[in-house]
Parts: sequence; C-alpha cells; structure tokens
Amino acid sequence: MSEKITFKELVELIAKQSQQSQSSANSFITELVQIIESGLKSSGSVSISGFGKFELRWMNERKGTNPQTGQEITIPGQNKVVFKPYKALREDINAPYAGLKPRIIRDQVEESEAVAPNPAAKSEKKESIDDLLIERENPHFVKPFTKETKSTKKPEQTKEKRPVAAKIPGESRMAEEVQKSGSFKWSYAAALMIVLIAFILLFFMLQRDTETPEVPATVHMEQVEPPVADETDVVAEPREQTEFETESFSVEPGQSLWTIAENQLGNPYLWPILYNLNRDLLINPNQLPAASEIQIPTISDPENLNEFEREQTALGYFSLYEWNRENNPEEARYFLWAVGVFSPELLDEPPSEVEPDDLAFALSR
Amino acid sequence: MKYKELIDRLSEKTGDSKIKTREILQDAVDVLSEQLSQGKGVSVPDLGTFSTKVNPEKKVYNPHYEAYLMVPPKRTVEFNPSTNLKEEVKYLKINDE
Repeated sequence: MSEKITFKELVELIAKQSQQSQSSANSFITELVQIIESGLKSSGSVSISGFGKFELRWMNERKGTNPQTGQEITIPGQNKVVFKPYKALREDINAPYAGLKPRIIRDQVEESEAVAPNPAAKSEKKESIDDLLIERENPHFVKPFTKETKSTKKPEQTKEKRPVAAKIPGESRMAEEVQKSGSFKWSYAAALMIVLIAFILLFFMLQRDTETPEVPATVHMEQVEPPVADETDVVAEPREQTEFETESFSVEPGQSLWTIAENQLGNPYLWPILYNLNRDLLINPNQLPAASEIQIPTISDPENLNEFEREQTALGYFSLYEWNRENNPEEARYFLWAVGVFSPELLDEPPSEVEPDDLAFALSR
Repeated sequence: MKYKELIDRLSEKTGDSKIKTREILQDAVDVLSEQLSQGKGVSVPDLGTFSTKVNPEKKVYNPHYEAYLMVPPKRTVEFNPSTNLKEEVKYLKINDE
C-alpha cells in the first residue's frame, strides 16, 4: 500500500532466501523481466507458477475527451498488460481477511435506522425499546389476519396498533431534536416522554373501552380508513393454492416438454411441472409421444413464481431425479441440485430416499 | 508462454540447471508474495509495480436467497505495468500460440 520496498531491498531479500550473491540475484531478476517481456510479445501471456499470469488484453478503440481542452478524441485500440494472481498468491494476500463469509441480511428495514440507539437518557432508551416492541408486534398482528378472510375481532386489533405506529416516529423525531439541542435538559425530555407514553396508553384504554361493546364492523369503517383499505388488499390476496388450473394441450410432432414449457408457460426451466402433471402418460421424461394430450397448468407470472408453483417445480425435478437415478445415475445429481434451486426446504426433507452423495452435491452448490 | 518454457529460457540465459532456476524463481516468488502479504508494495524495474488493495465490505443482492448479502472485505493484488513495458506492447499484434 503506502509502504513500498525498493528494488535493492527486494534483491537483498531474494539473495538471502536463495543463498546467492546479490549481483547474481539482480541479474536473475533482470533476465526474468526480459523474458517476461519477450514472452508477452511473442505469445501474449506469461505464467509463473505459484504467482500469477501476465497477459495482454486488447482494448478496443473508444471515444474519449481530452481533459484539458474538452475536445472529443478517438482513443485507438491498444494492448493492456494485466496481471492475474493465482490462487496461492490470492490466498496469501487475503490472509488477514480469510475465513470471512458473506452474511445474509434478512430484514432490510429503514426503521432500524430511525430507532438508532440513543446513548443518553434512560427514559429515552426505554422509549426506543417500546418503539421496537411495537414495530415488531405490528406485522405479527396483521399476519393472522391475512390468513383468515374475515373476522370481526382482528380488524380491531390492527386498528388499535396503527395509531401507535403512527405516533412513534413523531416521538423519536422529537428525541432526536432533543439530542441535537444540547441545551435541553435531559430530565425535561424524560418527563415529557413519560407523559406522552401515559397519554398514549390512556388513549388506547379509553378507545378499547368504548369500542368493544359496539359492533366493530361499522365503527372502524367510519373512524379509521387505512385499515379498511388494508382489508380489501388482504382479501384480494390469493388463497393458498393447492392445485393447478390445467388445460389440455395436444402435442405436435417435434415438440418436447422443454419447448412446450417455453412456449406455453413462458419459462423452459419449468418443464418438470409438465412431467409431474402427466406422469401417467410419460414414463421416460425424454420421450413425448406425438399427438398425445397433455395437461398444462396456467402460470400467471413465470418470472415470479409463487410458493406453490415453486414447490411443484421442485417436486417435478425430484421426480426427474428419481427417474434418472434408475436410468441415468451419472446425471441424476444435477436434477437433485435443481430441486434445491427451486425449494431448498424440499432438500431438507426429501419425499423419498436420496443418495447421500447426490444430496451432498446438491447442497454444496 | 507456459511456466516450463519460462524456466527453459531462463536457465539458458543464466547458465544454471533447470532445477536450480526453478528453485531460485520460486524463492523470488516467495519473497514477493511475502512482502505483498505484509501490505508492502514491490516495484520491479522495467516490469512494473505490485501493490495490494483492500476492497471494503459491500452489500450485494443475491437473487437465490432473495436477500441482501454483506460481502466481507477482501485484499487483492494490483499490478501497474511500467511505462516502458506498456509502450513496448501497446500496438503489438499477437498471434495466439
């Protein structure tokens, strides 16, 4: 990096390492450099075992601007020398960072930034915890609601939570302001927070008291609008799918499951679904009798499969795996790997016995 | 040019045996990579400068997991060819092997 060793130091080190005089080490390096240069000229690449490979790369002619005059110029095509380090060198260099693995960030929410930890006042900390609690709770309460289509109690709960969520940002904003203006006394801020919390709690207690006896449906219709909008959204969501809507399709000569999947489903990689749906007709997935009638499912968005479609695709690949294990054991593992691509869960609990070797292969990808 | 060819030509020039040449070259490589892994740059006259660079940790989207991944920092080698070498090969036509 910023530190550099001179050529002289390098020669000294090499001479010491290989137990020879400095002058011979020096001439060795000079010869080496000359050979690298002539090698680049003659064949365009020079490789040094354990170190890396020098290569010439042709850069095409391109447009550029002269940074001084702003004039447009054409930069002619030319060779560039690139050095590609080999694995041994790469690992040596990267040693301080070795063993670090990429980690998955599941919840990429901005809220986590809004609720940045406030190191100062105690009450504020409590506030931020409250904040977190409520925000975590929120989706939790909405979820059961999404599954059941309509129940009278649940809307009420979501409605109750909503105002809280709406209020909290205001509070944390205030907390930030308090933090910014250093003159503000922390005790005041703390007191204010507590009062606010008390108010909010009181507000909800009262609301709950007044609401529960009434028929909730009418109340929340007129009082709070967002939940209503939410409700329609939720109802519109598709129910758990358990079966494909299929239509029959007559196969023409020259068609394969792959091309049918490509034309009819929009994605050739979904062909295992066809195989799985038409198991009674197809024994060998590679042989499709012409003029036969097969069932094809309707898939709304081949780019964005839903849970069920993915599972079915994975199951299709699994059937293919089973067939190939019997008839083409060498390539069977690739189908098992494809199962994992569409549904990693299915690999964890395969529907029937799989070869441990194949499973290891599928998981290692 | 393959490694074997390189050794052949190098031993011709230096007059050492191929085995000896190979050993010395490996020593040189060891010294270079040791210096580089200490974070030091090494410049070789007429060839260029080797240096290391740390790519900081970054966030990427992985469509397989449908989530963001935090990719850890990584240190890599950089090579900056000398002006001399650059000019020498600039407009060369290479006939592939």
